[in-house]
Formats: sequence, C-alpha cells, structure tokens
Amino acid sequence: MIQANNLKKYFGAVKAVDGVSFSAENGKITGLLGPNGAGKSTTLRMLYTAFKPDSGSATIDQFDITRQAESVRASIGVLTHGAGIYERLSARENVRYFGELHGLTGAALNKRIDQLADLLEMEDFIDRRAKGFSQGQKTKVALARALVHSPRNVLLDEPTNGLDVMATRGLRKVIQRLKDEGHCVLFSSHVMQEVAALCDQIVIISGGIVAANGTPDELRASTGKDNLEDAFVSAIGSEEGLV
Amino acid sequence: MQTNKISNLRGFWTILRKEILDNLRDRRTLTTMAVSIIVGPMLMFGFLWFAENTVKKETDLVNAKPIVLPVVGADKAPNLIAWLEQNNFEIVDPPENPEEAVKSGDERVVLEISDQYAEAFTQGTSAPLRLIHDSSVSGLEKIGFRTLQKTLLAYNSQIGAMRLMARGVNPEVVKPLQLNSSDVANPQARNAQILSMMPYLIVLFIMVGGMYLAIDTTAGEREKGSLEPLLTQPVARHTILLAKLGATIVFSALTLLLVLIGIGLAMEYAPIDMITLSIDAAKIVKTFIACLPFVFLGCAMMVLMASFTKSYKEAQSYLGMLMIVPSLPLMLLMMMSPQPSVSNMWIPSLSQGLIIIQTFKGETIDSSLIALSMAGSTLIAMLLTFIAIKLYQRERILG
Ligand SMILES: Nc1ncnc2c1ncn2[C@@H]1O[C@H](COP(=O)(O)OP(=O)(O)OP(=O)(O)O)[C@@H](O)[C@H]1O
Ligand SMILES: [Mg+2]
Repeated sequence: MIQANNLKKYFGAVKAVDGVSFSAENGKITGLLGPNGAGKSTTLRMLYTAFKPDSGSATIDQFDITRQAESVRASIGVLTHGAGIYERLSARENVRYFGELHGLTGAALNKRIDQLADLLEMEDFIDRRAKGFSQGQKTKVALARALVHSPRNVLLDEPTNGLDVMATRGLRKVIQRLKDEGHCVLFSSHVMQEVAALCDQIVIISGGIVAANGTPDELRASTGKDNLEDAFVSAIGSEEGLV
Repeated sequence: MQTNKISNLRGFWTILRKEILDNLRDRRTLTTMAVSIIVGPMLMFGFLWFAENTVKKETDLVNAKPIVLPVVGADKAPNLIAWLEQNNFEIVDPPENPEEAVKSGDERVVLEISDQYAEAFTQGTSAPLRLIHDSSVSGLEKIGFRTLQKTLLAYNSQIGAMRLMARGVNPEVVKPLQLNSSDVANPQARNAQILSMMPYLIVLFIMVGGMYLAIDTTAGEREKGSLEPLLTQPVARHTILLAKLGATIVFSALTLLLVLIGIGLAMEYAPIDMITLSIDAAKIVKTFIACLPFVFLGCAMMVLMASFTKSYKEAQSYLGMLMIVPSLPLMLLMMMSPQPSVSNMWIPSLSQGLIIIQTFKGETIDSSLIALSMAGSTLIAMLLTFIAIKLYQRERILG
C-alpha cells in the first residue's frame, strides 16, 4: 500500500514533481503514465527513498518515506531508473547479493532465484558473468533482484525497457502473480498499451502534476473518450510524448 | 512473503564480502598486489645493488689492477719509482705534452720529476715533484690521483722519519698528533641509513593497494548505475559506506603485508653484502600492526575523495594526486631525521616512517610513542570517515 500526498521536488528552476498525490492499493496494479520528463522517475525515486521530497509526504505500509526510510526499503522491491548490475559477478550472484541484503539465505534463496530465472527466461545466462550482457539480459537481472525477496510493494521504473516479447510476457506473468498474492505493484511507463493491458489503476502525470487518476473505465468516462489512448491525450492536453 | 530488516552488522558483512569477491575478480587489483611483492623490493634492491657495485668497483680498481702512471724524468728518482711500483703503479713513458694530455682527458694524472730532484734529495732539502691533474673530474676517475697522492705522502713521511733517526731525533717529535678514528656506527644503523627510503615504499604501496577499491566501490559503482539499487536496500547508508571502506582496508592491509614479506625475503636471500639487516617475522608483524592505523587513514582519505568525484576517471586523477600527501611528512622525516618524541609521533605517515626505520634497525621505540602514533592516525581516520558518511547521506551522491 503506497500513499503519496502532495509530493514536490524541484531541481533548481525545474519543477520535476510539483504536488503529486495518489494511492496504490494492495492487490492492485497501478501504472504511472506520462510523457518523457513528466516526473515519473523523480516521483518513484522519492518513494524508494533515494531522494528526499522538498515538501509533501508519502507512506508505504504506514512507514513514512523520510522518517522511516529503512523500514520503507525493507518493504519494497525496486527496479531503479537505469539499473546497473555488477559485471564481475554472475547473474545469479547479482540476484543473490540483494536477496542476502534482505535477509534471505541458503536453499530458500536459491530456490527463489531459480523460480525467477524460469519466469523471466534467464536460464541461459543465469550462471554467466554479467560482463557483456545485452540490455534485455541486464534488465532481467535487475528485475529478478528487485523481486527476489517477494516484496509486499513493488516499484518498477520502465520495467519493459529492452525486453523482448517473451520476457515482457514473463514479466506480466510475474506482476500478475504478485497482484494475485495481494502485493501492491506500482510501475511507470510511457507505453500506453502496456499500461492498458495490466493496470487496475492509472495515474497520468504530466509536467510534474497528476493530470488524471482512475481505473481505465473511469478515465474513459471522465474524458468522454472511448479509446484509452484518446483519453490519455485529452488528459495531458497534447499528443506530445505518446507512444 | 514477509521480509525482515537485517542487522547493520549482517549488512556490513554481506557488502564487505561482495566487494572483496568482486575485486578479487578484477585483474587490476590483483596486478597491483603482485606488483607490490615483486616490484617494491626489486626497486629498492636495484638501487642498493647499484650503490654497492659502485663501491666495489672503486675498491677493485685500487686493489687489483695497477694504476698506469706516466712519469716525466723517471730515471732521476729510481728509489721513488721502485716505491711506486711496489705500490701497484705501472710506470709508463710520458706523453709529449703532459699538460695538454691531462686537459684533454687522455691521461688522468702525470707525475713530473724535476731536474733538481736528485740534487735536492741527496742534500736533504725538499725535492720538487709536480702532479699534473684536473680537479674538475670526479668519481672513479679521481681514484688514480688520490691514490698517487696518498702513496707519495707515505713515501714522504717514511723518508722524513729515516732522516730524523739518522740525526738522532725521534720521528714522533714532528708528529704532534696521533689521530686514531673509530667508527661507532654499528652495521645495523648504517644499513638503516641506506634504507631510509623504506617508509616511502611502504606508505606508497599502502595507498596503491587500496586505490582501486576506493574508486571502484564509490565512483565506479555510481558510474555503472548500481549505486542507486544498492541504496534502496534496507541497509543504512553509513553501513554501506563502512563496508566499502572495510573492503578497501582489507586490500590495502593485504598489500602492506605482502610488501613487508617481500622486503623480508629479499633481505634474507638477495645477494647484497652491504646490507646485513634481517627483517624477521616478529619485525614484520610489529611493523604491520603499527602501520594499520595508517592503512585506515589512507583508505578513509581515498574513499572520502572518491565519494564526491563525478566519474571513475576523475577519481583516478584526484587519487593519483592524493598519493603525494602522505609522502610530504616523510620528506620532513628524511630532511630532519628526528628522534621519536611526543611532539612528532602523533603525525600520521611521519610517525609510521619512524617506526619502520627504528624497527628495521633493530632499535626499540617506546611503546607509549607507538600508541600515540596509532591513536593519532586512528583519530584523524575516524574524522575523515565521519565526513565521508555525511557526504554519503546527500542525494548528490547519486550524481
Ligand atoms: N537529478 C536531477 N537533476 C536535475 N534535473 C533533474 C534530475 N532528475 C530529473 N530532473 C529533471 O526533472 C524532470 C523530470 O524528470 P524524470 O526523470 O522524473 O522524468 P520521467 O517522467 O521519468 O521521464 P522519462 O519518461 O524520460 O523517464 C526532467 O525535466 C528532468 O530533466
Ligand atoms: Mg524516467
């Protein structure tokens, strides 16, 4: 359960996030949708405690993101913006490292890694050193390491970046399963179809503010458009940044 | 699945272990360590070997080969010539123009026996001789001249003494002083003089040993984009920083140990007669422990510096410059060679330098002064670590 209340973050004159409020429920998939530079990553970075908000607040499972940052981090799994992995470690070692930092060990950890490797089609390279991995392979490792501890709340910044069709479907399966198990999933994307295919709740961000917020049906109703794509364009007030 | 926050200590070990494994797989780290055991001692012994060889050459020259000496008017002083030949000079015919020959460097020294020599000698007055040499030559080339001078002076005083005795005078009358010198420097102390460069070598390798980790675990991790995911783990930022500092210290300390062992082995087995130092295991352990606080300090300094550089490249050039810092107190040590005291043993690097020299010399150093050195460096290292932790809390750390 994630709750954001009027979050603000400025970088000098750039109002990256200028008062964002929304909530993401347990057992639901929430999508942050918006054009490039809308403030999606910055919002997520505040939620996963990499940045402190200038003002406003947010809680994850009742933990305050500024005052209880470590508890927040213990209850989330994160795919960061531009996720780097360790080149001299194998894919498995990369994932295991983060599992251990969440307190997992031994056979349970290995079983979980195998499970994720299966879901994300990573068997071919799971025991290879990560040096030279393709973009998609890197993203898979980063995803596996975000999910290795089966976090109650999952925050994913552009998770389908560089993934092929099979891996995207695998990821959808993972996300769907997390939802079914009652987890809270929040992910950002600028790809309309992706959000439409998965999300129970859509938060449309543009220019650092929430332009619209609701279920796909609610969005269609409030904008008076039948098509989600048109609803999106209408919500952000332009066709800019749409894929 | 419910997950728990892990303890700071467990987080520390997990990160430390990962950084060590990660860097053991890095060829650069391993190369640095290999270099430290091989090149370090080799550098030093290369220098010593050169120094020793120079001295040996000098003695060989004097002892073995006769010195070729052109003499003008050799027939006028047969006794003197016999004396010179006894003293390992080979008398040859003089060049046409002796002065020109010396000036041009064809000859180093020419002895000229004047026409008045024989007459003056028999009359018991001073018999004139002339040594033609060039005072601007130096080093080995000068040996011929110096040896000739010494040999002639010996002849001079021998003849003088004989003449005095012939006149019933004790030759000691004209020797008001009897000069005996004895060198009190024991070989160990002399060795340590030559080895005063050891502190440089050791301090340098302490820094080099930790450098790649300091960069890789901070600036490198940021550049590769893995710092942000790491910071989203349920581990306090100061734990992350301390673990990275810890891994840096492990490699730096390991390099220190290897260098010390390398020096110890080289002292034992290198074919250098001049050095009779023995650096046994006890000395190595003592030096290692006494230098550990400086390892902490050097690593804290490098991690701090690397934490706020923007890129790997930038970190490399800054840390390269940082290497100079600990060698400054060592220069002071070289120039002033102070005795260990309360006023200087708190100074990092200088105090470790003193400990290294005294320990290798085989001289003891007051344990309270060693404690002062360790405490001084540790305190400054802790201060730097504290600043690094503060820097790590800023979000600018993400670049
Ligand atoms: N660290 C930073 N320093 C300065 N400006 C920043 C920083 N991070 C983000 N910004 C600016 O804030 C604005 C929002 O950026 P953000 O990365 O949140 O956008 P986004 O919605 O994730 O875009 P994209 O779809 O391209 O990923 C942009 O104008 C960006 O240039
Ligand atoms: Mg983004």
